[in-house]
Amino acid sequence: MSDGVVTVLDGNTFVVSDRRGDVEASPTDPTGLFAFDTRFLSRWVLTVDGLRLTSLSVDDLQYFENRFFLVPGTGTVYVDATQSVIRRRAVTAAGFHEVLTILNHDDRPVDVTVRLDAAADFADLFEVKDALEKKGAYHAEVRDGALVLAYERRRYRRATQISTSAAAAIDDHGLTFEAHVEPHGEWSTELDVMAELGWNDVGVTRTAAAFRRDREHMEQELARWVGAAPSLECDWEPLRVAYRRSLVDLAAIRFSPPITPGRSLPAAGLPWFMTTFGRDSIVTSLQALPFTPELASTTLQVLGLWQGTRVDDFREEDPGRILHEIRYGELTAFEERPHSPYYGAADATALYVVLLDEYERWTGDRQLVRDLEQEARAALRWIDEYADLMGNGYVSYRRRNEETGLENQCWKDSWDSISYRDGRLPGFPRATCELQGYAYDAKVRGARLAREIWGDAALADELEREAADLKRRFNRDFWVADGEYFALALDPDGAQVDALSSNIGHLLWSGIVEDAKAEPVVRHLMGPRLHSGWGVRTLAVGEGRFNPIGYHVGTVWPFDNSIIAWGLRRYRFKQEAARIASGILDAAAYFDGRLPEAFGGYEREATKYPVQYPTACSPQAWSTGTPLLLLRTMLGLEPVGDHLVADPLLPDRIGVLALLDIPGRWGHIDAFARGPSAEGRRALQPELGASGLG
Amino acid sequence: MGDTTTEFFERVARRGHEPMLDKARGTIRFERVDGARTDQWRVTIDCGDVSVSHGPGDADCVVRADADVLDAVASGEANAFTAILRGEIAFEGDPELLVLFQRLLPATPGRAPMTDGAVPHGARG
Repeated sequence: MSDGVVTVLDGNTFVVSDRRGDVEASPTDPTGLFAFDTRFLSRWVLTVDGLRLTSLSVDDLQYFENRFFLVPGTGTVYVDATQSVIRRRAVTAAGFHEVLTILNHDDRPVDVTVRLDAAADFADLFEVKDALEKKGAYHAEVRDGALVLAYERRRYRRATQISTSAAAAIDDHGLTFEAHVEPHGEWSTELDVMAELGWNDVGVTRTAAAFRRDREHMEQELARWVGAAPSLECDWEPLRVAYRRSLVDLAAIRFSPPITPGRSLPAAGLPWFMTTFGRDSIVTSLQALPFTPELASTTLQVLGLWQGTRVDDFREEDPGRILHEIRYGELTAFEERPHSPYYGAADATALYVVLLDEYERWTGDRQLVRDLEQEARAALRWIDEYADLMGNGYVSYRRRNEETGLENQCWKDSWDSISYRDGRLPGFPRATCELQGYAYDAKVRGARLAREIWGDAALADELEREAADLKRRFNRDFWVADGEYFALALDPDGAQVDALSSNIGHLLWSGIVEDAKAEPVVRHLMGPRLHSGWGVRTLAVGEGRFNPIGYHVGTVWPFDNSIIAWGLRRYRFKQEAARIASGILDAAAYFDGRLPEAFGGYEREATKYPVQYPTACSPQAWSTGTPLLLLRTMLGLEPVGDHLVADPLLPDRIGVLALLDIPGRWGHIDAFARGPSAEGRRALQPELGASGLG
Repeated sequence: MGDTTTEFFERVARRGHEPMLDKARGTIRFERVDGARTDQWRVTIDCGDVSVSHGPGDADCVVRADADVLDAVASGEANAFTAILRGEIAFEGDPELLVLFQRLLPATPGRAPMTDGAVPHGARG
């Protein structure tokens, strides 16, 4: 989000306003009250005696609550500082609650006219992004003392109800109050803005008392969430800040799908992706496993519930396929977009099996692995039966929904992300390299689950044979001999799409890289073409399409780097993993601990600070999860049987690091590490503490 | 009378055990509203065992729609989830049960995105 924009949110409901608390959305501007992919308020402008206000400060009280301190007048005009205005706004399950207070600092009473302009365009988030026109009809009415703004298209109806505790003159465009404020007194009203979804009863009007109970519940829930995660002790302040920020943001962007109320999983990010994404939810759950394993459990269950069972070209559904994205807005409702759900991801299905195995290794929750046996088997079958579009034994993708489906069904899903060195774009199907790594890892991990938990040794043997064969073929067919790295993809002719990209780091994480090839791969990852000084670029300098501010062709993605650091650890490149962690955490310090989705791939020496990608989402789930996974890699945490082992290696600037009460199948355990800069200090225990707290 | 919805529930009743619903437990009541007449079916799922009865009764989840809409869903012409988002199907109760039940609905035949102003093709039955 750009500067001066304030975001408050609760699961799938969020408000984006300016620093005065006002919303003046243009068709393409992502401000307003959003719930379930629909904008329920596009105008919300406060004036006092006809004057706009000036912001003095904004307090983020909680992630779901802000307080705006204002004075009447704008710019240098506000000479009358005898009044101040406070707007205290909290997002609720179905909208927001705002307490508007006017303070009179004068010795005389004042009478002021307070006006709130309100309007709702009921835009689908896709429309905000693409500036599409509406096909239904709007109307406004005053009903039972509340302003009701509504939009109807056939039987699709969405409405916003605005009510107030103080008396107001209400018209179709807002509410007007005549406020009398005593000397040194205050006037106040409570406003409720409720989204009516039309397909359930979420939008019921609630009392102020119910609102206060909700808020207390949210405060308690946030305290419980943060309290249940391990506590961090560290002598490097930016890491402490980033850790705390990650835990709170993760709480904020948990999304409780209407289809499974009471459960929550990480949605992808604000403002475009506040919804269920298969890939993003899985990756974030992986990153957060050592800290909040319950996210993984929910993600696995919810994605399993929606697992594909049929062939549907519009949604690109196949039996066993894990969804890419689910949406609730108008364009989805009228099937102008396929997100009901949309299955166009070539990686989420393999990653689903990876998460299930990693989850069990940490938690020992064998029951969930048994409960999801059918889903995991179907996912493994999908890899072989539906994903091998070229019949060459590799996972590839080509969209079946030509109109609104995604061209690139991998994490780098923009149109130009997959290219040859010279910048040409390959045809379809495309078999990107990381998809083969994920498939390999899914087979290896699926084999473990089959052998140890499902009691199916035959399946385990088969999967292990397939995995070994895939690894052998992959290291032969994807290896770019003259450059000593793995090709970004194979094209429809089976030829190498030979650009050098960050994807090779994911291959280390998946374990598909033969040992002898790991060293040259690492040399590329840490070399000047890929590593900017902050982190690994998505595409190497010198490639035809390289652009330091191109979405997937040169920017640095924190999440990408966290996976790469994990991969470096897997192949025992501890120093290099620590260098990745240190660069990304340095960058986090420039964003108050909140890593953006991506930042520019400029040379660190050239800019000195990380340049945020212009329209990057923030907070964004897998960026939020990044400091957590980097903590894991710095400490070298790895579950081995019923134990957690640590093999720490810290970046230079961290002297001591302790992570206390790490939950898992071992109960709770502490990990300690000491870095190079701790020389001469009283050392903490150099390795994992034995203080299991059960 | 052989409407699509009735035929669909007759087919569901013959399925017996459905492994895709092994995790489902509960009863969904479907109400097909045709003018003044409302037909009801109760589908009870017990860990994959599916049984169907015609008529009213208790349920964990209730699905109500006009005859043309429900017929379109039962034939695979319309998608139940988007019909809910459009306000053409009302439901209350356990949504998870309904998501699982969708697995029994026929696949939508090769279809293009809907055009505005028209019900999903075939939905007017």
